[in-house]
Amino acid sequence: MSAGKGDIKLDGLVKRYGEVVAVNGIDLDVPGGEFFTMLGPSGCGKTTTLRLIAGFERPDEGEILLDGVDMSRTPPHRRNVNTVFQSYALFPHKTVEENVGFGLRYQKVSKADAARRVGEAMELVRLGGLGHRKPGQLSGGQQQRVALARALVLEPPVLLLDEPLGALDARLRIDLQVELKRIQETLEVTFIYVTHDQDEALTMSDRVAVMRNGNIEQCGPPQELYEEPSTAFVANFLGASNLVPVQAAADGAGGAQLTLGNFTLVAAECAGDLRGDALAMIRPERVRLEPHGTTGENRMPGMVEEVVYLGFHQDVRVRLATGALIRVDVPNDGDAIEYEQGNAVSVHLPPRYLRVLETDEPAPTDQPDAAPAEVS
Amino acid sequence: MTDTTALERGIGAAPSRARRRRFQWRDPWGHPRGLALVTWIYILWSIVPVLLAIRFAFNSGRSRSAAQGWSLRWFWKDPNLSVFHDPTLSSALQQSLTLAFFAMLIATPLGVALALGLQRWRGPGSGTANVLTLLPLVTPELVFAVGLFLLFTTAFKVIGLGTTAQVIGHVTFSMSFVVVIVRGRLATIGGDLEEAAADLGAPPWDVVRRILVPLLLPAIAASLLIVFALSIDDFVVSQYLASGADTTTVPMRIYAQARAAPTPALNALATIMLTVTLLALGLAYLVFRLMTRGEGGGSAIGQLAGIEAGIDAGGSK
Amino acid sequence: MTPRWIWRVLAAPPLVWLALFFLVATYAIVSVGMGNVTTLFEPVPHWNPLDWNVGYLVQAIKDVLPGGTTWPVAVRTVAYVVVAMALSLVIGYPVAYYAARYAGRSRGIVLLLLVLPFWISYIMRMFAWTNLLATDGYASKALNGLGIDTLMNRLGVMDGNDWLGGQSVTVVLALVYGYLPFFILPLYASLDRLDHRLIEASRDLGASPFQSFWRTVLPLSKSGILAGMVLIALPMFGDYFTQDLMSGSPHTSMIGNTINGYVQGGSEKSLGAALTMLLSVFLLVFMLGYLRSMRAEQRQATT
Repeated sequence: MSAGKGDIKLDGLVKRYGEVVAVNGIDLDVPGGEFFTMLGPSGCGKTTTLRLIAGFERPDEGEILLDGVDMSRTPPHRRNVNTVFQSYALFPHKTVEENVGFGLRYQKVSKADAARRVGEAMELVRLGGLGHRKPGQLSGGQQQRVALARALVLEPPVLLLDEPLGALDARLRIDLQVELKRIQETLEVTFIYVTHDQDEALTMSDRVAVMRNGNIEQCGPPQELYEEPSTAFVANFLGASNLVPVQAAADGAGGAQLTLGNFTLVAAECAGDLRGDALAMIRPERVRLEPHGTTGENRMPGMVEEVVYLGFHQDVRVRLATGALIRVDVPNDGDAIEYEQGNAVSVHLPPRYLRVLETDEPAPTDQPDAAPAEVS
Repeated sequence: MTDTTALERGIGAAPSRARRRRFQWRDPWGHPRGLALVTWIYILWSIVPVLLAIRFAFNSGRSRSAAQGWSLRWFWKDPNLSVFHDPTLSSALQQSLTLAFFAMLIATPLGVALALGLQRWRGPGSGTANVLTLLPLVTPELVFAVGLFLLFTTAFKVIGLGTTAQVIGHVTFSMSFVVVIVRGRLATIGGDLEEAAADLGAPPWDVVRRILVPLLLPAIAASLLIVFALSIDDFVVSQYLASGADTTTVPMRIYAQARAAPTPALNALATIMLTVTLLALGLAYLVFRLMTRGEGGGSAIGQLAGIEAGIDAGGSK
Repeated sequence: MTPRWIWRVLAAPPLVWLALFFLVATYAIVSVGMGNVTTLFEPVPHWNPLDWNVGYLVQAIKDVLPGGTTWPVAVRTVAYVVVAMALSLVIGYPVAYYAARYAGRSRGIVLLLLVLPFWISYIMRMFAWTNLLATDGYASKALNGLGIDTLMNRLGVMDGNDWLGGQSVTVVLALVYGYLPFFILPLYASLDRLDHRLIEASRDLGASPFQSFWRTVLPLSKSGILAGMVLIALPMFGDYFTQDLMSGSPHTSMIGNTINGYVQGGSEKSLGAALTMLLSVFLLVFMLGYLRSMRAEQRQATT
């Protein structure tokens, strides 16, 4: 690939639109060859950050370094990064081949070389034979591949992708996710990928940054974000979670004692020194339902309020005696007990799965599945 | 089919048929015949008089209000009175075409430049510039013409009245139409394509040359022809800025002679003008349909909408 | 990103053109109206507001007030325009509504025929009627044969049976004929944009066809009606050629004829300019309203 390794470093990046702060001082280090995803709801600043890296917007403060060189004042046509647009932005008056070859004109490449590279890029995205069509004659998925080939043919050390799969239907999206990952691994290009879709982020990324209000809320490998969300927002945005308001007190051994009404829960780990109002967080699939009357540590009585049958699992909602509602994910493994509304049960919240988070202003959505589609 | 045939065909069908007819205005699935009737009567009313005026142009007699056989006498056959041989009529035609030609060549580039500038120019002054562009579209033509007339007879006496002043007048009001058409097209193109081109390494002027201009070509072609048609049809501005017999245009000639015209030669002149206008517009439509063909339906429809918006805005003309 | 100065450089020449030939031209009206005349009655514009002479403006205002010489013309103009707009609404709304909602397969041709008059010169369209309404014209004969002239005489909007002989009814109908296409098209556009599911929803919620029209369609097309009204009101108030062609009689003359007479007629250009100023101020209300709605729509379209 190209000379650069494709390290991207953002240093105190700020972008304001009048009174609105779209990007609020972001620091970020993306090593070369990483598949890095910026995830967040619409308006969180992820697309603006991407556009700042691409050069379509001028930052108000901060630096953007590519392999150690600040390029925040370089116009986009001189930046060694390329973009795949959400709208694809294919030139409608040019054929697929001309689209893919567009940028090669500005690199010192012989005609023969250019033709060969266009051919290779088209093969890479499996578009051989469609070179003479106009973009208007292609399907959405094919157009997406042209946009990808057009950017990749320039062999940029960094590729920026702005919701590239946003306009495609679900099945196609999954196929293309796999393919994007394959291409990224083959070419060892740094991918900076923007999406509001948690599945996309979890499937493809080496690391994910969850963004909110122009800030990075948490940044790490997908597993870490899922298992150890550091805020209620992250817990809610990635996967489903139960968040129960509690009173927390450190137990002196790295864990915490949580008071919930008349009950006391134990959490094995508690980051920082949390006292007073806090949120106890646990994933629905980590909650255990046990027969009514079972007692022991971290067990509380409750009553089944609603059962939603979802095929491969059931979503059981249990009202605890304290009034809190707990969602429990019961796998449909053939042996599971069928719960019904009104059943009395005992809810087990294993200490090692219980996390303590700071209270937060109301999370934007109860169910991340229903997160509003990114419009911008 | 009438009720009788329905009755003959089956007793069961008749009552329901009758009921449907009686309550037709209530039938949500029915075709509102009353509305259709009004619409088609209106269309006939709006077009038939013009068709008759064209018909009289082909009269072999001298009447302008009744059909009298067919001939091309009033176009060029009559040695003295036909459009071709009557100097007052032929010079009007020539003046109209001259004005339209120059207006088209000047207003289109100015309008395209203004549209591009306004589309991207943000910041102080851009709001005022926007209003200034739209104002000529809503200014009553009489006010506009009086203003230019007084301007060219006082401060800009150097230019004075005449062909130059007429061209300037036509350019000034048609430029705004070009802006509306081109901005409509720019809106359908969107900013993404420019960013994509820059992203792929194209320097600014290359973005304009390789992306914007080719994509704007249909709008530019349409603008040229629409300015041509607007100029040909204009009456008030032409009249106010005319300096004498040799700057009389076709609409001015028709206006001057409509009530007194001795022969259908005037109808022939009007027919020629109408044909030229409609040819220009038909061409404008075809050109942009052809040029936007490969882009998929969306943008062609968007472009059409742009021109329609131009027509909308053209109410004061 | 393309440097920002490029766009300003592109916009500069056309803006200078508009400033010179639109703004300065408009200001010329004020300068002449507030100016003076030479002994030969040639206007001397006063470009400097400090030198303004309000004499002609005062004269023009006196003229259009009750008792003034222009007062009857002003009243007649308003009456003609109001009647013409009402007729336009009554004829234009059903046409636009049909074209937008029901034309179906024939929509293309209906639309084409509705747009066609736009591109036929206004003067030519009036001229066509001078052919038909001449004493031996087809339309005259038909109307008089049906006794319409007698009816119009009874209604007091016609005198005698010469349709081109200074009849109010002819002038008003000619105005309707001339400007109706400009009313129908914006209305069509707004009705076409109207989401048909809203009508279905209102029907679904129990509204009868009439109620659903009255409570859903009509309120939603209000902006289209307003736009169309403004679009035809502006040129009608400044019209002088329709009257000239269809009547020519001082008994049917409109404010545009008065201005035209002053400005093109010769010795009273300054008074004409002052009257134009008055008319412009009167129309400014319409213009600003229309401009605002147009810019709002443009913003919607571009963002």
